[in-house]
This record gives sequence, C-alpha cells and structure tokens, in this order.
Amino acid sequence: MIAYNPTWLKNLRIVKSAKQWQHSNLIEKDQFVEISKQYESKFYHPNFVIRILLFMAAVIVLGAITGLLILAVMDSGEETLSILSIFYGIISMVILDQAFIKKNNHYKSGITEALLYHSLLFITVGFIDFFEDTPEPYAVLGIVLFSFTAYRYLDLISTAGSILSFALLIFLLLFRMGGIAQQIIPIIIIILFTPLYFLFRNLGTQKRTELWNDCLIVGEGLSLLLVYAAGNYMVVRELSIEMLNLELVEGQDIPLAWLFYALTLIIPFLYLYFGIKNKNLVLIRVSLIVIAFSAFTFKYYFSTGHHEITFTISGIILLIVSISLLRWLKIPRKGYTRENILSEKWANSNAQAFIVSQTLGVGTKPTEQHSYGGGESGGGGTSSSF
Amino acid sequence: MSPEILKELKDKGLIGDDQFIKLETIVTRKAFSVFYELRTLLYLGVMLFTTGVGFLIYQNIGELGHILAIITLSALSIACFVYVFMKALPFTTGKALTPNPYFDYVLLLGCLLFVSVFGYLEFQFGFLENNAQITSLIVSVLFAFCAYRFDHLGVLSLAITSLASFFGIVVTFNDLSSFEHIYNVGLLFSVFLGGIAIFLERRKIKEHFTFTYLNFSALIFFLSSLGGLFENHHNYWPYLISVYAGVAAGIYLANWKKSFMFLLYSVIAGYIATTFALADNTRWDVEPWLLYMIFSCGGFIYFIVKYRNYFKRIE
Repeated sequence: MIAYNPTWLKNLRIVKSAKQWQHSNLIEKDQFVEISKQYESKFYHPNFVIRILLFMAAVIVLGAITGLLILAVMDSGEETLSILSIFYGIISMVILDQAFIKKNNHYKSGITEALLYHSLLFITVGFIDFFEDTPEPYAVLGIVLFSFTAYRYLDLISTAGSILSFALLIFLLLFRMGGIAQQIIPIIIIILFTPLYFLFRNLGTQKRTELWNDCLIVGEGLSLLLVYAAGNYMVVRELSIEMLNLELVEGQDIPLAWLFYALTLIIPFLYLYFGIKNKNLVLIRVSLIVIAFSAFTFKYYFSTGHHEITFTISGIILLIVSISLLRWLKIPRKGYTRENILSEKWANSNAQAFIVSQTLGVGTKPTEQHSYGGGESGGGGTSSSF
Repeated sequence: MSPEILKELKDKGLIGDDQFIKLETIVTRKAFSVFYELRTLLYLGVMLFTTGVGFLIYQNIGELGHILAIITLSALSIACFVYVFMKALPFTTGKALTPNPYFDYVLLLGCLLFVSVFGYLEFQFGFLENNAQITSLIVSVLFAFCAYRFDHLGVLSLAITSLASFFGIVVTFNDLSSFEHIYNVGLLFSVFLGGIAIFLERRKIKEHFTFTYLNFSALIFFLSSLGGLFENHHNYWPYLISVYAGVAAGIYLANWKKSFMFLLYSVIAGYIATTFALADNTRWDVEPWLLYMIFSCGGFIYFIVKYRNYFKRIE
C-alpha cells in the first residue's frame, strides 16, 4: 500500500499545477488561493533548497547515530552484525513510515529521502553475509527493495534503481550462460525493454496509476535509454571487449557490426520522429540526448583527430537548426510553439496570443506572420485537427 | 493534470469558462511548447561553436590562413553586436523584453567570440603584456555595459567573473601558493559586489540583477572566509567572526529576497566554521563528536520543521 494519503497527493498535484498557471498569468491569484483552499493537503513538503538542507542534516544525524550503534555492537560476530544491520534498516523504514509520514505528514521533505536511502543501504549491507560472491542475488534484492520503495514512497531514485537492477540481472544471467547467449545480450535487452516502455507509457495514461505518474515517466525515459544503449555500436563494442574478452585485430569488427551501426543511426531519429508526431516530451528529450551520443559514437570511430573542427562544425549545425526551427515556429504549427506557455518569464502576451489562436482556430494568426513567408502549412491552428 | 480534473475545477466555479478553454489546450497538449528544448539547442550551439573556434585559433597560431580566421571571427563578432544594437528595444531600468527568442544568444555569441579574438590578439602582439589585469577590466566593463543595455544575466555573470580576475581572484592549479592572500582580496571584493547590488537595487536599476550580484558575493565571501579560517591556524578569530557576520547577513538576505539559497550557504559555512573552531579548542574523543553531530543537526532539523511557516515562499 502507498504510504501517503492519496487524496492529499491528488490535491497537491492540482495545487502545483494551479501555482504554475498563476505564475503564467493564466489564472488570477485569488483563484489560486481558492483552489489551494478547496484542494487542501496537510503534507509537510518544503521547497527544494530546504529539502536539500534537511537531507544533508538528516544524513549527518543518521551517520552519527549509526556510529554510536557501531561502537556499541562492534565486538559481535559477523553473522550477528548482518542480522543487526538488516534489523536496523527495517527499523529505520518503520520510523520513516510511522513517525515521519504518518504522524508528522512529511512528504518528500528531505528527511524522508535520507531515512529511505539509509534504510535501503543497511538492509542491503546486511545481506552481504548471506550471499555468496555472486552479484545476481544483489540484482534480485535490488529489484524487490527498489520496486517496493518506488511503489510505496513514490520515490524516483528507487524507480530508476529497480529498472536498472532488472537490466543488470538480465545481463548477468545471459553473461553467465556464455556462448551464444552472451552475443545476444543487446538483442534481448531491446526485446525486453521495448514492451516495457509501452507498458510504462500505457500505465501513465490511466487514471488508477495517476499518483505514480512521475515514477512512470522515469520508467519511460530509462527504458528508452536502455533500448538505445543496447543498440549503440560503441556500448556494445566496448562492453564486448571489456566483459567478454573479445579480441579484435586490425580490420576486424564485432559480430553483427552493421546492425549496431544501423541501430545507432536509426533509433535516435525514430525517437525524434515519434516524439514530434505524438507530442511526447519524454521521447523528444531522450532523442536529443541520444542524437548527441550517436554523433559522439561515429566521431569516436571515424575520427580525423581534429576535435576543434568537430566542435566548431557541430556548433554551427546546432545554431542553424535551432535558429531555423525558432524562425519556422514563429507561427505555431500543428500545435507546436516556440513560446513558453507555462511560465511568466518570456513574452507572455505572445503566449496568450498563441493560445487564443489555438482555441479560436482560423483567422487569428499572430501578427508577425508577414515577416516569414510561411508555406501552405502556415497559420496558427488552422489545421483540421483543432 | 488530467482533463477531468480541469473539468471539475470549472464545474466548481474555480476557473472561468474562457480560462478553461485556454487551460484545456495546454492540458490536452493541443498547444505544445518546445521552448526549453530549442533554447537548450541554441545554447549548446553557441557553446560548441565558441569552444571549437577558441581551440582552432590557438592551435594554428602563426599560419597564413590563421589571419584570415581571425578577421572572419572579428567580423562575425562585430556582426553579432551590430545585430543586437539594431534589434534591441529601448533601454529600460526595469526588466526588458527581448525582440526575438534568439536575441540573447546572438549577444552571448558576440561576447564569447570577442573574448576569443581579444585574447588571441593580446597573446600574439602582447600589447598589454605587462598588464594582463587591464584586459580583464576592459572585458568586464564591456560586458557589464552589454548586460545592462540588453538585459542579459549570463553576460552579467561573465562581467562579474572578469572583474573578479581583475582584482586578482584567480587561483590556478599550477600555483597554489597564490592562494595565500587571495581570501583577503576576496572578502573585500565580495563586500564591494554586495555594495553595488544594494546601491543599484535602491536606485531601482535592474532589480532583477540583484540576485546574481548577491549570489556571487555570498559565494566568494564564504569561500574566502573559510579559506582564511583554514589557512591561519593560530590566528583564525577574525575569519571566524567574518563567517558569523556573513551568516547573519545571509539569513537577513534570505528573508529579504525570499531566496533560500542564501540560507543554504550561510548554514553550511556557519556549520563548517563552528565545527572547525570546536575541533581546535577541544580534545574530544569519538563519542562526544558523534553526540555533537546528532544534537547540532538534529536541533537544526527540529528548528526548520517547527518554524516551517517562516521558511515558506511567499506566493
């Protein structure tokens, strides 16, 4: 079960959105005050800087408490210490749950994170004595613990931890099998994480998982990155050399090199294409990151040794691309705009004009239109889908 | 935020019909902003280009094509400045709007190219050889002018950094001994910077720049004070007092500007300084130290949580 009061969580999300709208002058201040009254949440959820301060202070306190306890039980046997460590971790989580979350309504206050990671650390450390020197049990433990904390405490780092533990487990299992299994690790990762991505995305659109929305976004982004990494030539090549002791003589290449070259090239643009087509911010942002990494990959293996020229040229390309896109989006196209809709920072009248043009449709094109000879696709919000 | 909740807000009368229509286009992603993405691309483009060009210049010094490159870059830098001067909206002491989204980046590009070309010219012809600091001052003055004329926080930061190096606050890794007395200069410089910030704020000139000034000032102040504290083992009291004075000022600033960044700096600097002074004056074993950590940080947590309303942002 989820540790926090679900109604408050929902209310907090609504109030956060409303605050953003108010900062963007989309609603009045009185309206925001009224909304935060009607959708009350009693959480102690301080701002980011206070959270950092509380986190650091809590880490110091927990470290010191641990130090005192270690001084007390130092002379016990190894097995006792393991059990004590697990016990200490569980106790910490219970304190987090009962004292901070239940009694004092803390919600991601900095203290809760510190206690959570503290607890996870000591539970894991406690298991060292029970596991052999193999890493697989740790991966399984990681999946179990992180999934639990991600689910119960809506923690984003735990979400990432559980997904990465899963990827690690797959890798370790196939690696241990040896032979052909090792060769197909990248393909298996792609086959497993592609449906996982769609699962996360699908869950993200459902009402019953709305509280976990941020966790699911982390899941989406990470799955996309893993699929890309598994197909990236550089990752595959370097890991093959490092882990599988693959020895490449001059002129030799990794097995299926053509496939990985192709994936390195195609996946980023697939992400970008579908991101733009479906207006999916996760896809667009991930695609920008992996495009840069693909460029780096090709540069690394086909380098002329002149990094400064690469820098200069890629800089020029980026400038040209971004300036042309900005000019092209001077008029909103297919709902895309260069204006910042949800913030007060930049030229708000334009954003307002844009939103109006989107809602009213034909005939309300922004006034700057004359300065750019738009083709037949021009004209804000005139396309039939609006 | 799902469309259903938006509908609920409308049905409850919390938002008006026209607001609902506007917000719905955002919530349903009919209107989709790529503001941050495009801006990041532009910024990366400027950074990659100027870095690449900077390396290019230094690697090929003395070659023929080189002169040509310098001329091209100077021309490009001048072109950037001409562009911003032509496009800029009239000067205002308040927050200025930019005429178009890439205006800021054209200015940044012009400034960074200027630094490359200017640095090269000085290196090649050595006309300011004995006065390297003058270069920093010239760059700083020019950038400060641009920052105020075109309302650009990034260029203002560059101006402040150049000014800092004019005052000699540069620590190079080759010459750590130069650190010796920098902290005293740093203390003076940070007070000077804070003074400028408050003077301009009072005059209501670009009040939104105040935070940048104070941020630099606070960081340099605390780093200098702590530097002085660690360097002078036998006579650190003046620096300890200066840290505490800084903490008081920082808490006041945090309250005045409603920015908890200053609180963060103050608390960390104050804690480090106090712990240092304690370590110097006591001969504690492990346990008292652990207890000290528990009670000091625990007390701090209690204080913050207890007076939570004080630490809230004003909406």
